[in-house]
Amino acid sequence: MQVQELVSLVPWTFIATICNLFIQMYLIKRFLFKPINAMLEKRKAMADAQISDAEKAKNEALAMKDEYEKDMADAKNKASEILSSAQKTASDQSERMLQEAAAQAAALKAKAESDIAQEKRKAVNEAKNEIGGMAMEIAGKVIEREINEEDHKKLIDDFIANVGEAS
Amino acid sequence: MEIDITGARILYTFPIDVPFLGKFQLTETILISWLVMLIITGFCIWLTHDLKVENISKRQALAELIVEKANSFVVGNMGEKFRYMIPFVSALFATSVVSNLISLVGLRSPTADLSTEAAWAVVVFIMITAQKIKSSGFGGYLKGFTTPIPIMTPFNVLSELATPISMACRHFGNILSGVVINGLIYAALAVASSALFGLLPGVVGDVLSQIPFLDVGIPAILSVYFDWFSGIMQAFIFCMLTVMYIANAAEG
Repeated sequence: MQVQELVSLVPWTFIATICNLFIQMYLIKRFLFKPINAMLEKRKAMADAQISDAEKAKNEALAMKDEYEKDMADAKNKASEILSSAQKTASDQSERMLQEAAAQAAALKAKAESDIAQEKRKAVNEAKNEIGGMAMEIAGKVIEREINEEDHKKLIDDFIANVGEAS
Repeated sequence: MEIDITGARILYTFPIDVPFLGKFQLTETILISWLVMLIITGFCIWLTHDLKVENISKRQALAELIVEKANSFVVGNMGEKFRYMIPFVSALFATSVVSNLISLVGLRSPTADLSTEAAWAVVVFIMITAQKIKSSGFGGYLKGFTTPIPIMTPFNVLSELATPISMACRHFGNILSGVVINGLIYAALAVASSALFGLLPGVVGDVLSQIPFLDVGIPAILSVYFDWFSGIMQAFIFCMLTVMYIANAAEG
């Protein structure tokens, strides 16, 4: 079998090798770099999408948190308002009740006083009449004569009036 | 004992004679370089079938690793604007490595033929020159030979031409040395084996001395350097020089 020289330049082999190199370049590009780069690109797009999704979710969560905090603050304000109004109402009511009680007590007292005064007057009048009658009887029996009714009455009244003043 | 270390075998010669180029000869180099291309392309197809975006297989991880290494090698040494060189440099490296390592299965490396490396070096040289003309214009390119003083012109031309020659010969020389050393070692070990077992008395010695036992295993140790180390190293150096020369040419 024929052989080449150990160190030789063969034109056809030279040309064939150049062609082979460029064909190999195309084949590597087509079968290794193209699919792998496409896949890496896809993965990158997916990662980007995931990051943007996460960012969106985070923003939403922050917005929800803000809203929640606002709601909480509103609720707290409302609660304290309700509490203070309730306190005010309660104090108003209790004051009014106290006033009413005081007024009632005063009215009761006044009524009792007027009752007492009336009773007293009634008692005094009764006593006056009784004493007057008794005195007239006693005086009639003592002097056994009828004194002038008119004078007598006047005398007794004076006396009783003096008694009333003294009592 | 005679050892004959020759160039690639010529398997078939086409009878048509083309001017300047001579007759087309189907040599071992060409045949095995086709096999190398088949291996590389098949490997690429195997690597990239059934790609997934998530939950990737080890095979896909390897494919991505190769692509990323190739990207970072080219972009790291040449810059972002040479991204289009990635497939070329990858093809050069892959072809070189597989060609060098195919000698492990007993085939003759296409890189043990100077025509192969010369072809690669000429392609790279054309790229370097194109890049130089692109960066400083044709006049600037020619003027570059007269620096720093006009008397240096012949030396500059010489050094310019030395680039592809040294690239081709460095790679070729390393691989050829492996072929030559391997041939010598196999022959020498066969002789040593025959002498050693010839010491045995009688027929046993005569039979055993015909079988080169020492050729089993021992050359594999040497092939660690001459095939594996040298083969991968030369491919890497060739690509590194390609990348460096083209990047330097672009800087002007």
